[in-house]
Amino acid sequence: MERSKKKVLLFYCVEAEDLARKVAAQSNLIQLQSINWRNFADGFPNLFIKNAHDIRGQHVAFLGSFSSPSVIFEQLSVIYALPMLFCASFSVVLPFFPTGSFERIEEEGDVATAFTLARMLSNTPISRGGPTSLVIYDIHALQERFYFGDSILPVFESGIPLLKERLQQLPESDKIVVAFPDDGAWKRFHKLLDHFPMVICNKVREGDKRIVRIKEGNPAGCHVVIVDDLVQSGGTLIECQKVLAAQGAAKVSAYVTHGVFPKKSWERFVHKNDNGKAFAHFWISDSCPLTVEAITGKAPFEVLSLARSISDALQI
Amino acid sequence: MSAISPPQSLPSFSSKSPSKTLTPTPNSTRSCNRIHCELKKSSAAPQKWTIDCVSSTDPIHIILKPPNSALLPSPMDSSLKNSKRVCLFYCSEMRDLAERIASESDAIELRSITWRTFADGFPNLFISNAQGVRGQHVAFLASFSSPGVIFEQLSIVYALPRLFVSSFTLILPFFPTGTSERMEDEGDVATAFTLARILSNIPISMGGPASLVIFDIHALQERFYFGDNVLPCFESGIPLLLNRLQSLPDSDNITIAFPDDGAWKRFHKQLQHFPMVVCAKVREGDQRIVRIKEGDPKGRHVVIVDDLVQSGGTLIECQKVLAKHGATKISAYVTHGIFPNKSWQRFNHDKGGNPENGMAYFWITDSCPETVKQVKNKPPFEVISLSAAIASALHI
Repeated sequence: MERSKKKVLLFYCVEAEDLARKVAAQSNLIQLQSINWRNFADGFPNLFIKNAHDIRGQHVAFLGSFSSPSVIFEQLSVIYALPMLFCASFSVVLPFFPTGSFERIEEEGDVATAFTLARMLSNTPISRGGPTSLVIYDIHALQERFYFGDSILPVFESGIPLLKERLQQLPESDKIVVAFPDDGAWKRFHKLLDHFPMVICNKVREGDKRIVRIKEGNPAGCHVVIVDDLVQSGGTLIECQKVLAAQGAAKVSAYVTHGVFPKKSWERFVHKNDNGKAFAHFWISDSCPLTVEAITGKAPFEVLSLARSISDALQI
Repeated sequence: MSAISPPQSLPSFSSKSPSKTLTPTPNSTRSCNRIHCELKKSSAAPQKWTIDCVSSTDPIHIILKPPNSALLPSPMDSSLKNSKRVCLFYCSEMRDLAERIASESDAIELRSITWRTFADGFPNLFISNAQGVRGQHVAFLASFSSPGVIFEQLSIVYALPRLFVSSFTLILPFFPTGTSERMEDEGDVATAFTLARILSNIPISMGGPASLVIFDIHALQERFYFGDNVLPCFESGIPLLLNRLQSLPDSDNITIAFPDDGAWKRFHKQLQHFPMVVCAKVREGDQRIVRIKEGDPKGRHVVIVDDLVQSGGTLIECQKVLAKHGATKISAYVTHGIFPNKSWQRFNHDKGGNPENGMAYFWITDSCPETVKQVKNKPPFEVISLSAAIASALHI
């Protein structure tokens, strides 16, 4: 028995406008709404949700993007306000959950900022439709799903299905090998990719240095696609690519769901005349809109959009 | 006000200088040099104001602190209460105030946090000697001067109560967003609600709910925005103003003016023994004009009192109306000198006889540290420190 589909009013933050439009284009049932994002002279937000009365009794969603700490407060104000406007249900789509790589307390005194962010989101008011749903793609650490309190319903999605679709379009689709830069990535993704042969790398200590080695698998003669959830400086990917090439990989590509690339570190991967083409393809999703803007049209980057996946998630 | 370089020149608090004695007592164990200044007036007992020169951060930084007896408990009480040691953490912009607070009491000990940032802009924080706070009373002095600094400070505020501390107190002298707390139209987003909700979610510690110390919150109703898991403690800077006014040579000629009914509601009970003037904004056609609603400023030194100042427009309009109605001197007090975009520059110093164009004094507290840095040594501004009030709040 199929559940009937529901109409969803989709609000969005300024930086995610392009993705919001793509999501709305996927379905007639998704309607874009708008918010006035202004600031007072003291720097604090001056926000107005347009047509707030129309929200009553409707399913409402907010597409957020926490690309830096300074945009969190204004978006959180909207996230806390929307469920209190008598909507029938409320969902927050936060494709990339930042702070995720700093979630462990190794030493007492470490401050796990992922806990802070999870706590702030868990405190979203309950709406008429019950706890808010929170859609996140490829959260960094699997344990983070337990950071969220009971009054929020996290929905953990993945960008890997998009990668699989894309790989099937490649000519050498029968000679693709998936490589993981470490055990963490393998744990996160191997089940979604288990019909591909795999290579697992790891970092081994040699004296003072840490060197990337291949732990299992054989890349020789294949198109190897390194898969991870996110990329920051890109150092790990570059070292893996070198080792894979040295072990005979015919081509090396990369996929990450979240192209964080702080301080324009994506420049290390752009095809330039002198550095040849270390990476044949570099696929990222559109979870990090500021990066998408920067790398559009620059080989080897290709953006795989989450729009269809998000529009399906909104029907949950 | 002249700069102070101990032990040479003296600051002059008013144009008619009462006799003063200066006893420099440099204190080598702390980072500030403290100079005690005694103001003797013929009609009143001598008042000892303390001036702090916080040499570790600024070579010259004059902060007025009221006589200790006004705010701290009596010696007998304090010897019992002083046995409660407090570990005081603080955000970077509040370091000066934190040092002043710690210098108020041997029972308050400063602790440090390493504030770094990862390449992606998110904070990389480390609480030094975290095990050392187990079983201790812990406090954090915060300052949310802009949305961008909230997340890093909040991470500390959410982490500290869970380190097995015996109690946790958050001191947030200035609660921003306070002016945007009403929903007049459905669709208005009351960011004060967001901030109160975020703070209400501070984890409970072994000592129960966190205490939350705020000075002169903008709207009285905002006290109800906080949930059950925090204990808001609403303090005021007005007692500090009272002390300061009592030490002025013309303290018997002071009238308090409120720029609107809101300010009157907030503060009149604490200022009852002064004559008052209440202003109001009245619509005249398209314009809104400030008028005097009640009271008479003629011949008086009028002190305009409000909780905060932003552009300063309201204060300046009040000043003009008060001068027009015969005030001989006009001063202002706000607890929170927000002054976005350096709007403090609009305020001139009246050295005598010119109340329509300048103020005799403009008092602010050190709740907004960025402003304090900008207005120090710039008449008519005088900064009155909240340190004594905060130190005594920590001993609750």
